[in-house]
Amino acid sequence: MKSLPYIFSAVSLLAQNEAVRNPLTSPDDVSAGAKTFRSHCGPCHGLNAEGGRGPNLAAGIFYHGETDAALLKNISDGISGTEMPGLFYSPDRVWQVVAYIRSLNSASGAKPSGNSGRGETVFQEKKCTQCHRVAGEGGRLGPDLTLIGGTRSLNHLRQAVLDPNADVRQRYWVVNAATRSGTPQSGFLMNEDTYSVQFIDMAEQLHSIQKTDLSKFSVDKTSKMPSFKALLTERELEDLVAYLWSLRPKERER
Amino acid sequence: MKSLASLAVLLVALPAAAQVTFEQLRDAPQRNGNWSTYSGGYNGWRHSALDQITRANAGKLKVKWVHQMPTTHLVETTPLVVNGVMYVSEPPSNVVALDAETGAKYWRYARVLPPRINTCCGQVNRGVAVLGDRVFVGTVDAHLVSLDAKTGAVLWDVEVADYRNGYSVTVAPLVVKDMVICGIAGGEYGIRGFLDAYDAKTGKRRWRHWTIPEPGQPGSESWSGNSWKTGGGSTWVTGSYDAAQNLIIWGTGNPSPDWNGDSRLGDNLYSDSAIALDADTGARKWHFQFVPHDLHDWDAVQVPVLVDDEWQGSPRKLVYWAHRNGFYYVLDRETGKFLMGKAFATQTWAKGLDAHGRPIRLPNIDPTPEGTYVWPGVQGATNWYSPSYSPKTKLFYLAVWENRSVYRKGEQEYTPGNRYIGSVPMIDLPDDPGHGAIRALNPKTGDKVWEYRLHTKPWAGVLSTGGQLVFGGSDEGYAFALDAESGKEVWRMNTGGVIRANPITYLSKGSQVVAVAAGSSIFTFELAK
Repeated sequence: MKSLPYIFSAVSLLAQNEAVRNPLTSPDDVSAGAKTFRSHCGPCHGLNAEGGRGPNLAAGIFYHGETDAALLKNISDGISGTEMPGLFYSPDRVWQVVAYIRSLNSASGAKPSGNSGRGETVFQEKKCTQCHRVAGEGGRLGPDLTLIGGTRSLNHLRQAVLDPNADVRQRYWVVNAATRSGTPQSGFLMNEDTYSVQFIDMAEQLHSIQKTDLSKFSVDKTSKMPSFKALLTERELEDLVAYLWSLRPKERER
Repeated sequence: MKSLASLAVLLVALPAAAQVTFEQLRDAPQRNGNWSTYSGGYNGWRHSALDQITRANAGKLKVKWVHQMPTTHLVETTPLVVNGVMYVSEPPSNVVALDAETGAKYWRYARVLPPRINTCCGQVNRGVAVLGDRVFVGTVDAHLVSLDAKTGAVLWDVEVADYRNGYSVTVAPLVVKDMVICGIAGGEYGIRGFLDAYDAKTGKRRWRHWTIPEPGQPGSESWSGNSWKTGGGSTWVTGSYDAAQNLIIWGTGNPSPDWNGDSRLGDNLYSDSAIALDADTGARKWHFQFVPHDLHDWDAVQVPVLVDDEWQGSPRKLVYWAHRNGFYYVLDRETGKFLMGKAFATQTWAKGLDAHGRPIRLPNIDPTPEGTYVWPGVQGATNWYSPSYSPKTKLFYLAVWENRSVYRKGEQEYTPGNRYIGSVPMIDLPDDPGHGAIRALNPKTGDKVWEYRLHTKPWAGVLSTGGQLVFGGSDEGYAFALDAESGKEVWRMNTGGVIRANPITYLSKGSQVVAVAAGSSIFTFELAK
């Protein structure tokens, strides 16, 4: 085990040099990396890196550094201040994971087929802004979409428009309640513990209520968003997806 | 001359006042309102006879003081209180000594750690042990350190195992006689588990009990090939001590790799077991394996609760054990014989237990590449956080999880110092997070007597007291007190941080105090005057 310290220092040295490129990029490396990924990364990032509790890694966007060296370091050591733990594998195995992730990025690198400018018009015309907010403009009830393209694949964006119920985050579950005096209360669940519930109602008012003050309380896990399947042409859909995909952090100045 | 004489008296008297002897740990671990071992005594009860705080007045509990730790790691520590000084481990591997009355700091031991630490689940520490004028702490770089109780100065520092191979110490050590008993963590790194005894004075190792036998030893036939070398069987939660039999009773962790057993065919003894060791030699007297050939990571890392009571008409030495696998067990403490078992939470993996306590497994429960849904989930129906037994109510209290996981089977290649787990299960299903509860069981039957339901799954242990209260905490940040007989809530407070630790109680200047870690702080509570 005497070699381990040298491996550790090798990782730090490699990671310090931003110009270091992944030496292991063969198809065999990619498939070895995929195996490691499915066992160790998939539970959070999705079996195909499409995202889940952890961000989508298939979109080619890495907020904590996009160079090979940064990926090596983040996968090896974890990312402090986040839930991302370190893999603590030898650099070879981590490089293979990097190769696998890069292979997804090139596969998913295909740009959306629609036109994002027209998609923005669709977004306005279909009144998406009633519930969704982009860069501070729009409603607060649905998810803020300012950076949504950076964290979702094209397929996921398309699915969200056509079948909102396919993936409803807990934050968008709906509270249906009534106070002891009989006043109905409804809104999007923000937090719930044993004794109380916090939600934002349809008029964007915040509520924090003790459960003992409620005569009725249930949580509906279906989405309040309608499907736009029948409301969009194929072209409008692809334009809208292209617009959503374009909502991402600006390329950093180099 | 008078003042010199009194100084001399002082010099002689002080060390004596600070001293904790083995006899005190054995016979009166809570003498003078102390809390001097992890579980408050060798029997593992986490019970205190203190009765100033009662069901009638607990509503008047308020914060006494708070100690905030300079740490970003999870806090799982149980504080000890000895003669007015509280000894607290701060993660990753530091120790602080506080005035138990005010929270003011006397000293801090800050360990310098190497840059890479291999811990599966956070760089945590569950507490310290004390003997004489010494404090003992295990470290995440797998050392055991003895500190001077008055100053925090290092008296000795020994390597338990090589941290670079995935070994770490997160357990609170247990002092037995003149020895420090220290367990090991690393079941997700393919370690070979053991329990160690060290000379409290010198740090010299007295014995090592390997939890995974080598070829030729009893139990070795339960491992295929060389899998015993990386077989896991960690010992990361403090055990109990039966002084009359001179037996250390300790739980062992999962076999490695966790969720893929293809390389370790057989029962994988003595993983997921209760083991009873002769305290002087470390020789195993008996064992009971809860989960043969475990594929779900259901460690037997619960505090053994040792009770002498009637069993079917005659007095018997018993062990009560609510296991991570969802079953509650009663064992004979002299032989390890299985006496009864019953599910205490929802489980879908076993039809029941046979006459020897061996689970009768249901089909289609093993992890698969696609994933298999099984109750309880990977963190178990209960886990490392302590249960409690009250001699007043004769009830067994514990924190329970009602949840399931998707168990996935994956690669299982071993390389030293790397994770060796065979995939990772989904702990929280996004649309089905499960819930939790504090439950009281009749320990003779395993029947549920009452339940205090929680919206979320608790990682905090419970404490019962002579005031007929059960103290607990939740991930929601609430510390609470329940009526020990009915489970009815009599007090709660939002601490603002997750509670992932066990409560204790002690006397300070004659008044009862309850302490528990919450967030990155120690909170203490007392009755409003």
